[in-house]
Amino acid sequence: MEKKTLAVPFHEFENFTEGLTPGMAAMFKQSVADTIHDRSLIYEQKRDALAGMAAAALPYPPMSDEAAELLESGILCILGEGPAHFYPRYAAPDYARLLQNGSAFLELKPAGDLMEATASLLTAYKYFPCEALPVFIGRLDELLEPYIDSLPEDLARKVLRSFWLLVDRLNPSGFVHADLGPAESKAGRMLLEVDRELQTITNLTLRYDPQVTPRQFALQAVGNALEVTKPYFLNHPAMLKDWGEDYVIASCYNAMRLRGGIYTLVRLNLKRAAEYSGDDPERFLDETLPRIGKYWAEIIESRSRYIIEDARWFEDNFWVDEGYLQQDKFSAYAGVFALAEAANHFSQANGKAEARYGWDAGANALAARITDRVHEILEANPIPACAGTGGRACFHAQVGITSDLDTTPAVRVPSGQEPELYQHILTEAPTHRWIMGGVSTILEFDQTAAANPAAVLDIIDGAHHAGIRNLSIGSATSEFVRVTGYLVRRADLEAHQAEKALRHSSAALGAGVMENNPNHLHRITRKV
Amino acid sequence: METTFGMINHVLPRSFVDGPGNRAVVFVQGCNFHCLYCHNPFTINFCSDCGICVQACPQGALRMENGRVTWDRNRCVECDTCIKTCPSFSSPRVSRYTPQALWAELAPLQAFISGVSISGGEVSLQLPFITAFFEQVKWHSRLTTLIETNGYAGPQAYLPLLPVLDMAMVDLKAGDDQTHERLTGKPLAPVLETIQFLHAQGKLYAVQQVIAPGFTEDKDSMLQTAQLLAGIDPGIRLRLLRFRPHGTSGAAAEWPSPSDESMENLMDVARACGLTQVERSL
Ligand code: SF4
Ligand code: SF4
Repeated sequence: MEKKTLAVPFHEFENFTEGLTPGMAAMFKQSVADTIHDRSLIYEQKRDALAGMAAAALPYPPMSDEAAELLESGILCILGEGPAHFYPRYAAPDYARLLQNGSAFLELKPAGDLMEATASLLTAYKYFPCEALPVFIGRLDELLEPYIDSLPEDLARKVLRSFWLLVDRLNPSGFVHADLGPAESKAGRMLLEVDRELQTITNLTLRYDPQVTPRQFALQAVGNALEVTKPYFLNHPAMLKDWGEDYVIASCYNAMRLRGGIYTLVRLNLKRAAEYSGDDPERFLDETLPRIGKYWAEIIESRSRYIIEDARWFEDNFWVDEGYLQQDKFSAYAGVFALAEAANHFSQANGKAEARYGWDAGANALAARITDRVHEILEANPIPACAGTGGRACFHAQVGITSDLDTTPAVRVPSGQEPELYQHILTEAPTHRWIMGGVSTILEFDQTAAANPAAVLDIIDGAHHAGIRNLSIGSATSEFVRVTGYLVRRADLEAHQAEKALRHSSAALGAGVMENNPNHLHRITRKV
Repeated sequence: METTFGMINHVLPRSFVDGPGNRAVVFVQGCNFHCLYCHNPFTINFCSDCGICVQACPQGALRMENGRVTWDRNRCVECDTCIKTCPSFSSPRVSRYTPQALWAELAPLQAFISGVSISGGEVSLQLPFITAFFEQVKWHSRLTTLIETNGYAGPQAYLPLLPVLDMAMVDLKAGDDQTHERLTGKPLAPVLETIQFLHAQGKLYAVQQVIAPGFTEDKDSMLQTAQLLAGIDPGIRLRLLRFRPHGTSGAAAEWPSPSDESMENLMDVARACGLTQVERSL
């Protein structure tokens, strides 16, 4: 009964090699019926949940017993992707090409002005090739700047305003992500203005480079962040070093190649792995992690190849045929979370429970060594499918899902236990070093910051200088909260929590849905 | 050259309200005013090593050594018993720093701040030390330097500091002599001279005034302040600080805080006098 409304019920790992067996047919039918009858879901949610169930009835692509065991134990996990995910988790289409050339498939001509450009983009988002959700909607300032003067300024603003409103209303999700910067532009400034005015949930990143981004533009972005908790302040110089120019930020804060994408996200629960490995951190670093690394790569490879070779996703796909996406730019994420608990586990095991991550130099150093070692094992396990990142899985810090208990997202210090601001930054910065696939530190400021955005920019500069890759800046009084990596309106969250309290047996649904079908959160709460 | 020492009450690694950007703030010990509403009365006087607080400290963080009170930072739990017991508005938690040592403490913060502000207490009582410290700052970093002063020392006193000083904030406790004396026990004239002088030198970042009921929370008082400043330069930034009873002692602890509306009205008065940059604290 607990799982009555669970969208993806066939996540039972004991069945994962066979998929849906005759013995499970009755349960399957029941789940389909329950979904159809569920009065808390709107039609689209039901449709997506049913599609998820159908795909989840397939068996896992082949993998070794050892790999299967790691999944079963929860040390590795595939989040809600389902056993045989048949499309990439994320993609980052080159919309500039579409605006310049038009699209034969979508029957769109090259965009001639701002109205045509925004109409073409909205059309393209509708056909986004994964997740039924455009997790990347472009480097919008770059895309729209060539058209911004095609209309008088007040009209241009109106068009941008209705475009930005439609982006949200058609795709109400904190995982829909646009990039700005590093250069300033009229389109960039206007988009920040419009975003501040409309306060939609769409996610934004400013690729910030103090050498390139004019101070005034950066300060405008700080002002927005204190009001609406976005944009993110991405350390563009650090990203350039790892990626070169052709990278983008999509979904919550995920980096990938432009024209590329991410097949799958297989995440490692560092807490469980640490506990499994016993009391000795050296053993964890030298034996456990390398052993896991091998099977981690195997699972990533098997899931990616399924998409390429079995589902043949790159074939008969207009996104590929028309050159917006390119297979050799794709990769996959090896995500980690619960670094804090892993570091604390070894402190505790060695009788120094008070030596906590964030507070103790030894625990902090161990945390940094753990991320260093994960980087090394990813380097040591080539995955040919991950051509977009040199044939290796892309290191990612995964923010967790709300059903994760006793684990801290990504590589963060547990929320509420953060040390003093500078110490907080200096604790997390070294762990960001190798995590080019996405990671962030969340900083929240009080009201005095709004009167002095330059002070916040000082701290951003200092944090980037210290090695922080990405910062989420918010204010305690903002309408928005960054739950883990994505934004939620405070009011929506409260409504969601209230609903959970009333129907606690379905808390799992809310939790799972939030992460795996993130647009649903907004809709669940919006419609009631 | 003999080494100068600074008597430092404490260092705040991060402040958003002590000048432009994020700043580290050094609070010096010792003041030549006795403002009725002083928010840090324990910074007014230098310690006389009477030893009374040593007995009072519940943590054993204070000791007498060779006739001097010493403070053990690691034992202290910041309960403030000592400063409440001190009969002479001082604090035993004051550290003697050389300019080099103070810089060494702030250097690790460099990447996070725009500059260093010195507040108090009253900075003009330790100008040789502050000059030497700012020389360190300028030698080692790109940081800006700022002092917050009551201006009472008069223009001459600040002269040696100017080459290493970027900005000054001067407290103008009241715009008329009578209120100024009533509040601080000291005449207004030297303060005005300092404001004019620092402005002429291009170093005046802002003039600040605490808006306190019965003294500066009234229209006429603000008219006088604003006219004085507008007469010098309407572009002078005036910051109105709302009086808060927190930290004060004596009668001021009972005064109410001015309302938002009252603060806004006074800002309007100041603007009506022609001042173009009028701000207020939260
Ligand atoms: S604040 Fe003063 S009394 Fe309290 S522990 Fe520290 S030194 Fe002792
Ligand atoms: S701080 Fe006050 S009580 Fe303590 S020794 Fe100095 S003067 Fe005496």
